[in-house]
Amino acid sequence: MSDVLNMVSIILISSLRMSIPMALTTVGAVYSVRSGISELGCEGMMIAGAFFGMLGSYMTQNVWFGLAWGLAAGVAISMVHGVLHISYRVNQTISGMSVNLLGIAIPPIIMQFLWKTKTLSPSVPSFKKVNLPLFSDIPFFGRILGEMNVLFYLMLIIVLLSWLFFSKTVFGLRMRMVGENPTVASTLGIPVKAYKYLGTALCGALSGMGGAYLSLGQMDLFVQGMTAGRGYIAMVINAFGRYNPIGALGGSIFFGFFDSLQIIFQDSFIPSAVMMMTPYVFTLIVLVFGLKNLKIPAGVGKHVDEQ
Amino acid sequence: MIQEHAMKPRNLLKANSSLITIRTSLLSLLFAIVIGGAIIAAAGYSPLETYAAMFKGSLSSRKGIVLSLTQATPLIFTGLSFAIAYRVKLVNLGAEGQLYLGAMAAAVVGYYVQGLNQFSHVSITLLASATVGGLAGLFIGYLRIRFGAQEVITSIMLNEIIILFTSFLAAGPLKGQNSVTVQTERIASTAMLPVLAKQSQLTIAFILAIVIALLLAVLLNKTVVGYEMRVTGFSRRAAETGGIKVWKIYLLTIFISGAVAGLGGASQVMGVNRRFVEGFSASYGFSGISVAALAVYNPIAVVFSGIIFGILRAGAMTVSRTTSIPVEFVSVIQSLVVVFMAAPKLGLDVIALPKKLYGWIQQIRTRQTMRGGQAHE
Amino acid sequence: MLSMQNITKRFTSTLALDGVDFQLRQGEIHALLGENGAGKTTLMKILYGMIKPDTGQILLDGQPVNMRHSTDALSKGICMVHQHFMLIPAFTILENVITNDEPRKGIFTDVAAAREQVKALIARFDFALDPDARVEDLSVGEQQRVEILKALYRKAKILILDEPTAVLTPHEVNNLFSVLRLLKAQGTSIIIITHKLKETFAIADRITVLRDGRIIQQDLLPSDTDVSRLSCMMVGRQIQKQRPAKQKETGATCLEVKHVSVSEHSIAKLKDISFAVHKGEILGVAGIEGNGQSQLLEVLTGLRKPDIGEIFLNGSVVQGDAATFLKNRISHIPEDRLSMGLVKEMSVEDNLILGYHHEETVCKHGFMRKRSIAERAQESIKSFQIKTHDSHSLVRTLSGGNQQKIVIARSLNHDPEVMIAAHPTRGVDIGAMEYIHSKIIEMRDSGKAVLLVSADLDEVRTLSDRIIVLYEGRIVLSSLPGEHSEMQLGIMMTGGVLTDDTGACHETT
Repeated sequence: MSDVLNMVSIILISSLRMSIPMALTTVGAVYSVRSGISELGCEGMMIAGAFFGMLGSYMTQNVWFGLAWGLAAGVAISMVHGVLHISYRVNQTISGMSVNLLGIAIPPIIMQFLWKTKTLSPSVPSFKKVNLPLFSDIPFFGRILGEMNVLFYLMLIIVLLSWLFFSKTVFGLRMRMVGENPTVASTLGIPVKAYKYLGTALCGALSGMGGAYLSLGQMDLFVQGMTAGRGYIAMVINAFGRYNPIGALGGSIFFGFFDSLQIIFQDSFIPSAVMMMTPYVFTLIVLVFGLKNLKIPAGVGKHVDEQ
Repeated sequence: MIQEHAMKPRNLLKANSSLITIRTSLLSLLFAIVIGGAIIAAAGYSPLETYAAMFKGSLSSRKGIVLSLTQATPLIFTGLSFAIAYRVKLVNLGAEGQLYLGAMAAAVVGYYVQGLNQFSHVSITLLASATVGGLAGLFIGYLRIRFGAQEVITSIMLNEIIILFTSFLAAGPLKGQNSVTVQTERIASTAMLPVLAKQSQLTIAFILAIVIALLLAVLLNKTVVGYEMRVTGFSRRAAETGGIKVWKIYLLTIFISGAVAGLGGASQVMGVNRRFVEGFSASYGFSGISVAALAVYNPIAVVFSGIIFGILRAGAMTVSRTTSIPVEFVSVIQSLVVVFMAAPKLGLDVIALPKKLYGWIQQIRTRQTMRGGQAHE
Repeated sequence: MLSMQNITKRFTSTLALDGVDFQLRQGEIHALLGENGAGKTTLMKILYGMIKPDTGQILLDGQPVNMRHSTDALSKGICMVHQHFMLIPAFTILENVITNDEPRKGIFTDVAAAREQVKALIARFDFALDPDARVEDLSVGEQQRVEILKALYRKAKILILDEPTAVLTPHEVNNLFSVLRLLKAQGTSIIIITHKLKETFAIADRITVLRDGRIIQQDLLPSDTDVSRLSCMMVGRQIQKQRPAKQKETGATCLEVKHVSVSEHSIAKLKDISFAVHKGEILGVAGIEGNGQSQLLEVLTGLRKPDIGEIFLNGSVVQGDAATFLKNRISHIPEDRLSMGLVKEMSVEDNLILGYHHEETVCKHGFMRKRSIAERAQESIKSFQIKTHDSHSLVRTLSGGNQQKIVIARSLNHDPEVMIAAHPTRGVDIGAMEYIHSKIIEMRDSGKAVLLVSADLDEVRTLSDRIIVLYEGRIVLSSLPGEHSEMQLGIMMTGGVLTDDTGACHETT
C-alpha cells in the first residue's frame, strides 16, 4: 500500500514540478492572446529567460537577480515581436518566428565567448527546495509541497493574480475587448496599441520566468535546447485551457503529468525515446482532437481599421 | 509576403520590381551584417577585421570556396522547402524533422540494399528519402485540412518526435557496430554521392540542389499546377472562385516541401557523413527560413541566398579557429535577416534614429534657451 | 442644436460629399435619406469623428467643435449605432455596455453597481434585456437595443442610427420606434440614416435627402411630401437611356432555379426562390444589397450548395463546385472583383486565364503555353480596349474599369452559355461602363442568357429584358419593360407596397 502511495506522490511531485514552467509560460501566452497577439514567440522568450536567468545568477551569484535578468530578457525579446507586428504590421507568424530564431541563436554565442563552450554553462546559484512551516504539517501533501521550490508558490500567486486581473479589474476587461475587436475598443477610447504592447511584454516576462525556472529551479545551469519546444506546447495548452489563467494551470498540470510519465517508466520495457516523445504526441492529439468549439478571441492578429 | 514597396511607379515593368526586391534583400542583409558587427565589437574584436577575415577564409582560396558551397548545399534544400510551401501561404516549419527522416531513410537504404550499381543505388536512396520526407509533409497537411490544426505547431511537434525517433533508431536497432557515438552503419560505397572536388565534402548534392531549384522554378512558373499554386498563395478566395481545388494544392505543395527537405537530409548522409549521425544538422531546417526569406521565396533566388549564407558560415568557421567568435554567430545574422526582410522600414528607421535623437536634443535645448530668455524679462 | 456647414469630403477618386449642410433641432427625430453611396454614412461618420472633412465645420449648441476621434464625439454626447454593430459577441450585455467607462472600486470593476445602473436603464426604456446574457445569443433587434443602451449609458444627447431597420423584422421595427419615441420624450435628439421610405414616414419629424453627395432637400416635413416624391428625389430623374431594341426573340429556358433556399447561422437568406433565365434574355435582379443577392450569386456559380433546391442548365441539374459550373459554361463576373475575380499581384495575362486554365489553348501536357497565352492576351487587350502597359503588367496597376474589363473579357473569351454578372460596373468609370454594357447586350443578342445582379437600379432598368426584385430573400416583384416605373421598383426594393398611383417623377429642387 505504501508503495502505491509512494508512486502516487512521486507522480504528483513530478507533475507539479513539470507544470511550473508550463504554467508560467502559458499564463504569459494568455496575456498575449487576450490582447490580440499570437503567442508564437513563447519558445524564444523562454530560451531568453532560461539563458539570461542563468547568466544573471552567474554574474551576480544571486539567484534572485538571475530571475530578474531572465524576466527582463523575456520582455526585451518579446519586443521584437511587438514592434514588428504592432508598429510595422508584420504578419504575426513571421514576427513570432523571428523571436524564436533569435532565441535559439543568441545563447551559444555568449557561452562561447564566456566559457568556450556552445552547449553547457557552468553551474550557478539556483533555487532550492522550500519547506514552508505551515504546509509541511499537512499529511501526505505536506511532503509533496516540501519538494517544491519558491517558484512553485510564485507561480500559483501569478496564476491567481492573473485570474483576478482578467475577471475582476477594469484593465483586464479592457484588454479582453482589445483582443476581441480592436476597432470596437478604439471607438470606445481604449488605447489599443498600449494594451497590445502590455500583453506582449507580460507574455515575455512570464515566459522568461518560465524559462528561468528551467535553468534556475529545475536544474542549476543552462543547456542549449533545454526548452525542447515547451514554448510551442504552451501555445497548445493555452488553447486547451480556453485562454484563461486557471485553464492554463490545469492544462499545465495535465501536461506535467504526461511529461513525468517519462520518469515513472524509466526502467521499463518502453524505450526512453518513446517516453520522451509523449509530450509532443500528447500535444498533437490535443491539437487535433481537443480543440472543439474553441473560441479564440476574435481580434487576434487584427489591427484597428483605418479610415 | 511579397513586399509592398515604397516607390510604385505607375506602370511597373517586371524588371523594375525585381530590382527593388533585390535592393530590399541586399539592404536587409547589410543591416543584419552591421548589427552582427556590433556584436563582434561587443566581444572585443574589430568588426571590419573580423569580416575581412571571414570573407577571405570563405572566398579567397579553393578550400574556402569548396567549404562555402558545401555549407550552402543543405541550406538550399531547406530554403527551397520553406519557400515552396510559403508560396501557397503554408508555414512548414517541419524541415528539420523532414531532414532527419530523409537522412535516416538514406542511411537505411544506403546500407541494407545491396547489389546495385552506384547510379541505381543513389537514385533509389534519394527517392526513398524524398518520399519519406514528403509523407511527413503530407501528414502535416492532412492535419491542417481535415482538422484545421495549424501547421505552424504541428510541424514543430513532429520535428521533435522525428528527431527522437531517429535518435532511438541510431542508438538502438540500427546502431553501427563498433560505434561509440550514436550513429548508424556506414552506407555502401555505391550509395555515396560522387565528390565534386578532391578531398572535400562537396558532392553532386550541390548540383542536385540547383537542379531541384530549377525544377521548382519551372513548376511554379511554367506549369498549370504551378499557376494554381501561385493563385492560391496570393488569394485563396480568387482561387476558389476560379474553380481551383485549394485542398489539393495544399497537399501537393506540402508533400513537395517535405520531399525537398528529405533530400537535404539524404545529401548530408550520402555526401558528408556517409552515415546517419545523431545531431548532424546544424539547425539547417530553421536556417532554411532565413534563406527563403532573403530570396523572397523565389526558387532560383534561393540558390543564391543559400550560397550567400554558405559563404557566411564557411567564413565564420574559419574565423572561429582563431577567435572566440563561434560559428553560431551566423544564426544571429540569419534571424536578423528575417526581421529586416519582414519590415524593411525598420532598418531605415533604425538608421534614422541618431538623426531623430539629435533633433530631439536640439528641440529641448531651444526650448530651454527660450525659457531662460523669458525668465530674464 | 447641431449644425454641419459646408461639409466636403473627397476620397481619392470620388467626391463623397459636396458642400453639404445639415441641421438638427433639439429633441427631434431627423431622417437622413438617400440611396447606397449617396453620402449619408460618410456625413455621419464625420459628425462622429471617424472621418475628417476636407472643408466645413460643425457647430454644437452654437460652438464650433473639432472631432478628431470618436472619443471626442462620445465626450460631447454624440453616439453612433453602426449598421454593423460594434459589439463583442462573446461578451455579455453588461460587458459590452460598460467597458472603458466602468464604475470602479480602485482597479476593480464594481460589477454590482454596473449591473444596477444598466438594469435601471433597461427598465427605464423597457428594453427587456438581461445584462448577463451573451450578445451572440441575442436576436438582431435585441443586439441593436444593446447598442442603444451603450449610448444611453454614456448619456448621449445625440443618437445617430445607421440603417437601423435594415436588419429588423417588422415587429422589431415597431419595438425600435417605441424606444425612439420614448428617447425623444426624454430629450434625446436622433438622426436616422435610412433608405426606407415607409419607416421614414412612420417615425421622422423632419427629413433631409442626399443624392450623389449633394443635398436635394433639407428639413422637409413629412406632411409636406409623399412616398413617390421622396423616392424620386432619392433616385433622381435620369435621362432615360434608350434601351437598344431586341434583335431576336427570347428563346427557350436556359438557366432555371427551382425552390432554392439558403440559411446562414439559422437566418434565412434566400426563401424558396424560383425563376428562369431564357436564351437571348437579360434578367435583371434589382434590390438593395443585403437582401440575398450574395447568396444567390454563390448558389448560381457553385460557390455554395443550396440547402434546398436545385439549379438546372438546359434541363439538366448542375451540381458541384466552381470548376463544375465553369465547365458547364456558366461564367461568373464576381461581385467583388479584387478579392474574388482577380489576383492583383499577378499579370493581366495570368488573370485572363483564371478559371479556364485547363483549356487546350492555355496548357498542353500540364505546361502553360506562354506564347499562346500572351497572344490571346494581346488580342483581348485590343478587342476589349483594356488600357494597360502590356500583358505582363500587374493587375493592381490598372484602373477599376480596366480591371473589370479583364473579368468580362475572360468570360466572353470562352463563349459561355450563361453569364452571371454581379455589379459589373461598380467602381468603374463612365467610359468603361458603357463598354461593359454594350458587351452584355452583345451577349444577349447572340442568343445567350444573362443574369444581371446590380444595386444600381438605373443599370438594371436600362439593360434588362425582365426584372425581378429581391427583398429579404424573396422575389417580391416580376416586371416586364415598361410595366413598372422607376419609383415603383424603388418602393418594392424598400419593402413597400404598390398603390395605383403610377404618376410621373417630378424633379424638385
